[in-house]
Amino acid sequence: MESPSHHHPHPRGVRTDFDVLVVGGGHAGIEAVLAAARVGARAALASLRLDRIGEMSCNPAIGGLGKGQIVREIDALGGAMGRIADATGIQFKVLNTGKGHAVRGPRCQSDRHLYRDAVTAYVADTANVTLIEGAAVGLVIEDGAVVGVRFEDGRSVRAASVVITTGTFLRAVMHTGEATTAGGRVGEATSEGISADLVRLGLKLGRLKTGTPPRLARDSIDFSGLEPQAGDAQPKPFSAWTDRARFPLLPQIECHITWTNARTHEFIRANIHHSPMYSGRIQGVGPRYCPSVEDKVMRFADKERHQVFLEPESLSTDVVYVNGVSTSLPADVQEAMVHTIQGLERARFLRHGYAVEYDFVEPNQLSDTLAVKRAPGLYLAGQINGTSGYEEAGGQGLLAGANAALWALGHSAFVLGRHEAYIGVMVDDLVVSNPTEPYRMFTSRAEHRLLLRSDNAEQRLVRRAHAIGLVQKDALALLESVEASKQRALAVLASLRENGKRLDELMLRPNESWATLAARHAPLRELALPESITEALETDIKYSGYVERQEENVARTLRQQSIEIPADLDYRSLTGLANEAKDKLARLRPRTLGHAARISGVRPPDVALLAVHVERRRREGQHSSGPGDPTKSAS
Amino acid sequence: MRCSPRRSGEKVAGYRTRYDHARSRSAQAVNSVNSSTASRPNDTIAAIATPPGGGLRGVIRVSGPRARELVRAVWHGGTRPELSRRALLEGRFDDGRGTLPLLLLWMPGPRSFTREDVAEFHLPGHPALLQSAVARLLSAGARLAEPGEFTRRAFHAGRIDLTRAEGVLALVFATNESQARAARALLFGGLEARVQAARAALVDARTLVEASLDFDENDTGHVPQGEIEAVLHTAAAALEQAQEFEAQRAPERGLARVVLCGAPNAGKSALFNRLLGRDEALVSAHAGTTRDALEGTLELAGATATLRDTAGFDAGAAGPDRAAQRIAERSRADADLVVWVVDAARAQQAALADERAALDSAQVLLVWHKADLRPGPPPDWTRELGCARILPVSSLTGAGVDALRSALDELLSGGQGGLGRETFLRHTRALAQAQTELETALLSLRAGLALELVAEDLRRATDALDEVSGATAPEDVLDRIFARFCLGK
Repeated sequence: MESPSHHHPHPRGVRTDFDVLVVGGGHAGIEAVLAAARVGARAALASLRLDRIGEMSCNPAIGGLGKGQIVREIDALGGAMGRIADATGIQFKVLNTGKGHAVRGPRCQSDRHLYRDAVTAYVADTANVTLIEGAAVGLVIEDGAVVGVRFEDGRSVRAASVVITTGTFLRAVMHTGEATTAGGRVGEATSEGISADLVRLGLKLGRLKTGTPPRLARDSIDFSGLEPQAGDAQPKPFSAWTDRARFPLLPQIECHITWTNARTHEFIRANIHHSPMYSGRIQGVGPRYCPSVEDKVMRFADKERHQVFLEPESLSTDVVYVNGVSTSLPADVQEAMVHTIQGLERARFLRHGYAVEYDFVEPNQLSDTLAVKRAPGLYLAGQINGTSGYEEAGGQGLLAGANAALWALGHSAFVLGRHEAYIGVMVDDLVVSNPTEPYRMFTSRAEHRLLLRSDNAEQRLVRRAHAIGLVQKDALALLESVEASKQRALAVLASLRENGKRLDELMLRPNESWATLAARHAPLRELALPESITEALETDIKYSGYVERQEENVARTLRQQSIEIPADLDYRSLTGLANEAKDKLARLRPRTLGHAARISGVRPPDVALLAVHVERRRREGQHSSGPGDPTKSAS
Repeated sequence: MRCSPRRSGEKVAGYRTRYDHARSRSAQAVNSVNSSTASRPNDTIAAIATPPGGGLRGVIRVSGPRARELVRAVWHGGTRPELSRRALLEGRFDDGRGTLPLLLLWMPGPRSFTREDVAEFHLPGHPALLQSAVARLLSAGARLAEPGEFTRRAFHAGRIDLTRAEGVLALVFATNESQARAARALLFGGLEARVQAARAALVDARTLVEASLDFDENDTGHVPQGEIEAVLHTAAAALEQAQEFEAQRAPERGLARVVLCGAPNAGKSALFNRLLGRDEALVSAHAGTTRDALEGTLELAGATATLRDTAGFDAGAAGPDRAAQRIAERSRADADLVVWVVDAARAQQAALADERAALDSAQVLLVWHKADLRPGPPPDWTRELGCARILPVSSLTGAGVDALRSALDELLSGGQGGLGRETFLRHTRALAQAQTELETALLSLRAGLALELVAEDLRRATDALDEVSGATAPEDVLDRIFARFCLGK
């Protein structure tokens, strides 16, 4: 650990060891510390164990539906997740290709050990980042502001801002059947002191649960009768920075598919009383979208079988991740249950499935920079905010880290809108409402889905990222060269005709694509454009009508929804508001009418009443305030 | 209160500085002081709910947190009224000068129209007595209700949706039986129910599509296309029903109707030509030249109307003249606005009172015509004729024509008939929009376009429907609608 003796003067006059201190070395913490460093802050990352940075606690996969887009956004904002996944991926597959360009979800399975090693090396190589090994046991709070972190060995590290990304480690309890252990991941300690300090700051905590399936030994599985599942024949990388010529770097593997059956289901039903969820030992609410196998069997009783994916975790070990049988049944019951599944009859357990219950901070206490509203200098990102998934964590980490740095350096905040990025959708969803289950990204959460494609992440974000230093000139240059190529291709398309019809018009037909047109027209082939560009171009053309309409929609809702609600509004004094709406509004205190409208339980008439009230107050303010008030003159 | 730096046109997702935050906080502090004098939604409001003029009974309605207190303040006699539950009570109303027989309808919130405590005072229908009773309630702490405020509170309390609120408004302003019938259909939620049914089917369809989009083809959430198509058909059928309902309800499809009427030779046709800027109606100095109704299109700044010239009043007409009289009567009955042309030079109070009585209750604008022949303002007694406006006009010199045009514009675009049509147009446009989007969705689905594009069409269809029920109606539309409610309704 660095000696905290060399205090630097800080813009706010506070002496600190670092500008930004990130606690937690998971996917949120990594992106946070890297973003802070890119923005120009002296950043530090504290983790219980420096050899566990970037651990994939659950499924060793990156991306997927709604998540692949986030990885692309992280990449466009200069983050690490995309490039590390590309470098360590052992199977690449784009999901949902048949339903349109915007809902395609690029996904890869990584070698979990290589991923961890690559992340560790990447963070260690980044200038401006200091690594600290140690157990954080509490926050240093002065005058209500967070100014540092206390460690187990008694030392304190001071920082202008602190980002907490401790994931499921807050008051975590692991369940395997009737056995419970304290800890957020097998074999690792829990973090009680930070929980207590967050409560001391007046933050409201909730409780959630998540689960993970068993890991089996590959040589104990009989693959002979199982359906193999390969990755895409032409794998596509996440990152714009990945060298296409040398991709993929690693040998690619196959997964296998098997199914649960009547015997499995019968067995689960007979032993359901052993499940901590069903016996009431777990109070936290688990996700509906990624249910445990117990849940699947009990809730979808009419389903005769459920799919199970056998996914190798690494090239160097023979650990197989059993995707689809997340469970917290007792160890012996798990084994017997898994043994009813075809191919797994003799499977040897390397690790049993378990459920984790943990604290999260109700995220409506955060602003849209992920700063804790009531504690200046404190930022939260990742599962601590009630989300699930590496991608969701990484996206938040990047935003929180960048903002923690901007704040520490005295710069303007960086906020992403719902129309700009899935990260913006996620943060906005989090800060206006409270998750009742771990929050996972779905494309249907994004009302401007057609604008938020994985193919246009750079177009959406690189310029904004460059403006605050998150990416350098090279990213801007890369974007400009891609845009120039697209312009050139567009010009060529518009200059060529077939039966009197311009090629860009022909492309609008469902059965035409760049490929079909290029097959007939040499000038298109001569452009020799990479598929990433032709695909984006094709989407631009085919979706142009829809995209235009969504853009109009964005402009309209922005106007209407950006109207701010006075922070001191007394909701209880407004008659006409339904009681549920009144309670929720008073508790969640939405910043804008747009936020208010998205709170569940707040109905349109409530929003209309609020709008009237806000408008009235604004007018009254105008009438009674002096002409010198700069905040009103332009209203 | 828009004190954020965003008002400068910057995008929502733009940068903000801490200094901006600090500035907006101080601005809010300033405003919170100002607003303490006007927590208006909290007021208890009162107004006469029955139409002006004498009736057997008059009703004063009171709504708000202090309604109970107000009832006790005006209740005369030793026993206290029992207000713990909904009740019909007999007693006497003490207006400070005397007492009146009172029938009190007490509806404690939330089981009332506005979800607030509501009291209805049924009193003798004499205007002066009612005024004095209202004055008593105001001095006891009530505030005079703004136009449409009761209905607005009901809307905000979630009691009625926008279509029903519009129904109340349309009924209040209905100038003829067909309009009243149409309004009643709205008021009883006819359209609301059908729009909700269509919306529910659309939401079902969206649920299926979205689920299908958010799960991989191989996953359990994937929905087959046939199933999606079937739900879309259900939605289309429900939407069609809503449209049919609205089409039947529609009292008129065309433009606002303005009818010129008046005694023979009052100068109706000359005014008709003046307003249309042409020479169409046959004008002569002889009374009774116009027999058939003539029509033209009147373009105003804010409204377009058909202007109809009719035969002059002639109670004793026979034969073809009698038929012309019947046509004129019917035109007046269907009119949104009757322009009553009065010959200023020959105007007599008694004769005009009779003419006015024959015009029923339609909204009437009095043109004090041939004003060039009788200079000076119209006599005071013309104000007792119950007309919305009285305007001196000379078709000969053109004096007052511009003022007439702007009065017509104001009454038509802001008045009852204009609103009925505005409401109708709003509904039909939104329903048609929803149907177009839904049809596009079906076509896209069948043509094998990407499912995410189908989803986008469906989202837009739902948005269009929400515009009908007021769910996403912008606040200025609400403001315009509610500002036109009759006091007390």
